[in-house]
Amino acid sequence: MVLADYFFAPFFRRYFYYFDSYPIVIQIAILLTTIAVLATFSAYAVILYRRYAGNRHEKKLARINPDLDNYITENIILNEQLATGEPVNQIVLPMGIFEKSLYRRRWVQQATIDRIIHYRKNFGGEIGGLLKKLYIDLELDKVSFKRLKSVKWDKKVKALKELTAMDMSIADVNILPLTNSKNRELRSEARHAYIKLSKNEPFKFFDIVTEPLLMWDQLELFKIITTTKDISIPNFARWVTYSSNKSVVAFCLKLIVHYNQQQAIPAIEKLLDSKDHYLRENAINALGKLKAEDTENKLVSIYSNQPLTCQLEILKALGRMGTGNHLEFLRHEFLRSADFDVRKNAAKSIINHKADSASLLKELLDTATAENALILKHCMNPLIKY
Amino acid sequence: MNEVPAKNILIVEDDDIMLKVVERILKREGYGVEIARDGKEALQKVQDNKYALIITDLMMPYANGFEIISKVNGNAEKRTPVIILSSLGNEDSIMEGFKMGADDFLRKPVMVGELVIRVKRLIDQNK
Repeated sequence: MVLADYFFAPFFRRYFYYFDSYPIVIQIAILLTTIAVLATFSAYAVILYRRYAGNRHEKKLARINPDLDNYITENIILNEQLATGEPVNQIVLPMGIFEKSLYRRRWVQQATIDRIIHYRKNFGGEIGGLLKKLYIDLELDKVSFKRLKSVKWDKKVKALKELTAMDMSIADVNILPLTNSKNRELRSEARHAYIKLSKNEPFKFFDIVTEPLLMWDQLELFKIITTTKDISIPNFARWVTYSSNKSVVAFCLKLIVHYNQQQAIPAIEKLLDSKDHYLRENAINALGKLKAEDTENKLVSIYSNQPLTCQLEILKALGRMGTGNHLEFLRHEFLRSADFDVRKNAAKSIINHKADSASLLKELLDTATAENALILKHCMNPLIKY
Repeated sequence: MNEVPAKNILIVEDDDIMLKVVERILKREGYGVEIARDGKEALQKVQDNKYALIITDLMMPYANGFEIISKVNGNAEKRTPVIILSSLGNEDSIMEGFKMGADDFLRKPVMVGELVIRVKRLIDQNK
């Protein structure tokens, strides 16, 4: 307020000689109103300028894009040498159009990169290879690599997106440090790029991850890993055993389940002795989903020493394995436990045993209290899933 | 309903580049091609004309690809083969497309040779 008074009060004193005679509240109100009006006009000016700049850029693109589209359609998509089976690296693309000075301007180079990437997202196979050749022949890869060295994180993200879309190799020394960046978006994009571009060891960054993998990061990574073609899938037990990052271990457990890596079961079983409940809970969940029947007895034996979250996972795991060896244990938990979640999960696991538990289920339905009968009926409804 | 030539194909796609390129590829192969840039335009064309084949994207303004497939094969006397051309690659979308009556599913990025062969096969089957 002192600063505002310093800037605006002389103005008001000059044009409104009675400004000083106003009560302080009115003086403050006048100052605030003036600041608000100026801020509104500035915001409008910025919006108008951005719209004008955007519109100018669109017009420039409208001038350049038809030429690029014609070039790509004629020389790449409908390339006759490609149709005759000529290898992509032996096809010589005509470069005449790109010798114009216009194509040396930075914004035109960017427009060309964006256009090539757009085509590459839509067309694969040899056409994709020819688009990559055009990108390299025009030395646009150098533009992207130069941007990767920028100090601004958003430029690095853009460069990573371009290089990933064009399937360009990036040296580990340039990309690995970015997978651990403090900036969430840069970190996520670098991991994405590393998995897509590293053909031999796409998960090497798991070894150096110091920041936790947030749930959102895990979702993104899971999608990338499971949808990237030709990725070499390692045995994730390696990180379950050696990683000191809890979130990496939990994420690897999910990947082990997804890829049904039965060979990882001994490594997961060792996690049952971990002091961390979060890891034990995730390990029990993974063992259940992998139907690791050999671990069933151990799960039941540790049940009474576990916190509630781990107990619930053990009950679910017994239902997923469905061997029938511990139906009596499930029955006991259903009838004796005072906790609603324990009863609900025990009931669901009994029902998951299907034919093996038919007689037990009938007995429970006949003898259950009103509340237990309600739980059983709820769990028997195939539309209710949890 | 107008009976259009036996080799006429309708391409429904909201990406202008993809639309123009696929149109050129199919014209080069000797097919007659009509285009629609959104679901609404496609539904109008499907109502007014009969096509030998429809190639449709899934995510589009006004009406999506599923609605178009359902309209095409909902009450027609003779069904029209449909190829879905989409970047959606999850199992649910693919299954939903086939349940609705699609004949084929091509995921972007598409290989031109594969597209041409699949178009030819479906048109020949339905002659």
